[in-house]
Amino acid sequence: MLELKDLYFSVSGRNIIDGMNHTFEKGKFYGITGPNGSGKTTLAKLIMGINQVSSGSISFQGKEISSLSITERAREGIAYSFQQPARFKGITFRDLLAMAAGTDDEEMLLALLRRVGICSLSFLDNPVDAKLSGGEIKKIELATTIARNPKLAIYDEPDTGIDLWTIQPMVRLLKREQKEHGTTTVVVSHNRAFLEAADIVLMISEGKLVYKGDLKGALPMLNDLSVCNYRKCVGDKDVGCYR
Amino acid sequence: MLDVIDKDLLKTVADLEGLPKGAFNIRKNGKLLKREVSANINIESNADGSGIVVTIKPGTINESVHIPVILSQAGLYDVVYNNFIIGEGADVTIIAGCGIHCGSQEPEGHAGIHEFRVGKGAKVKYVEKHYASGPGRGRRTLNPTTKVFLEAGATAEMELTQIGGVDEANRTNEATLGPDSLLLITERVLTEGNQKAVSANTIILAGAGSRANMISRSVIKGDSEQDFYATMEALAPCFGHIECDAIIMDNGRNDTVPSLKARHPDAALTHEASIGKIASDQLMKLMSLGLTYDEAVNRIIQGFLK
Repeated sequence: MLELKDLYFSVSGRNIIDGMNHTFEKGKFYGITGPNGSGKTTLAKLIMGINQVSSGSISFQGKEISSLSITERAREGIAYSFQQPARFKGITFRDLLAMAAGTDDEEMLLALLRRVGICSLSFLDNPVDAKLSGGEIKKIELATTIARNPKLAIYDEPDTGIDLWTIQPMVRLLKREQKEHGTTTVVVSHNRAFLEAADIVLMISEGKLVYKGDLKGALPMLNDLSVCNYRKCVGDKDVGCYR
Repeated sequence: MLDVIDKDLLKTVADLEGLPKGAFNIRKNGKLLKREVSANINIESNADGSGIVVTIKPGTINESVHIPVILSQAGLYDVVYNNFIIGEGADVTIIAGCGIHCGSQEPEGHAGIHEFRVGKGAKVKYVEKHYASGPGRGRRTLNPTTKVFLEAGATAEMELTQIGGVDEANRTNEATLGPDSLLLITERVLTEGNQKAVSANTIILAGAGSRANMISRSVIKGDSEQDFYATMEALAPCFGHIECDAIIMDNGRNDTVPSLKARHPDAALTHEASIGKIASDQLMKLMSLGLTYDEAVNRIIQGFLK
């Protein structure tokens, strides 16, 4: 349902995404992982149209979308959950949820809250501003993504700022969305809980797709890749890798 | 008595569909159009006929008074001096506002000077909206002034809004706070085209335990200009905060100058100020929810000025 062909994204002559090819199958749960700076978030942003591809193509349900705007991709059925969600002045969770769902009907919004597991109704009228904790704003981000009823949902590090006890319920929620609504799910994460939940793990290193398969097969490679990707850290005067 | 234009202006500046219930005073083109008083709220013209005195009896709870002004007479600059005396322990809402309809090349304007004396323990919410419309190209000027005196334990919540169409505005707010009193001011100003607006605010925290919070939200579109000055002076142990945010669009220009003056060692004064374009992460978030760029901009501005 989503096909990447010869995908490149370059900044100042450096390929951040370096010739990537992959087809995401409908209804599957993908975990994208890899070292810091490997290009995971960049790839997710290319799919959503937040970054524009340098060359190559992205087709979604058979339609070339690489020249479409964020709005157009959203309307095609792609939803995106930001790693660092935006904060506003004068916009409440209710406002965002209504925009995402395309309705301000109270019953529909309450049904959405139940669907995403937010039980406090007073939370609905909270301003989405700087006063929210990191965990609260991530829950709002997740809820607005799910409220889009997306065909493809992209979550960029959904566990950032979330307490340990909320991660498993979050994983279960995304799995339930996958199962009940057939949502193709792409989660960018370092967290083992999300990678264990994935049908397919994709590993990215230096802008290239270096592994696709189950988590078990990825683990030795992950251990190897996560040691150090700062290649110059070898001289006598360097501090060396803490590992 | 109220024509279509009057009704439109009243709806915009005072949320009124026709005449309000309870006490009110409607001024049109510099003259009294209609007035009603209630058992607890008296309104009378002042001695020289230049405005009104609104007297609210002590202990008056949950009552409101509307005092809108409408202008549609070419060439008129209407100046009005209004006094509000709010009795001890009262809890009332005052809804003011001025709507200008300009149908000609001649300028029209209004200056409302409103003085509030809020008695011990009393609470007042003051809502003021300024708006101008009409096909005429005459310059539309609105120069509101509020002066607030809070006695011990009094509270004033002021919502001051200029929502569009005003070519020039010189806005002045002054307040003196007694012991344990509370002042909350939220000012929202939108300018566009070649409009200019200046807001000058002076808040004196004179009483121990007094608190003040001034929030300013400015949206500056087109080639318009806005300047915001706020001085908070603390003469006693107190708390004061100024928060001023401006969104600049197109070629808008803005000066924002918050000023804090502590004249007592136990004063706590803070401010935060920001000027800038709409943050790209806000736009991207709303676009990812299916809004177009323009829809996202409008929604962010709408929320910012809400």
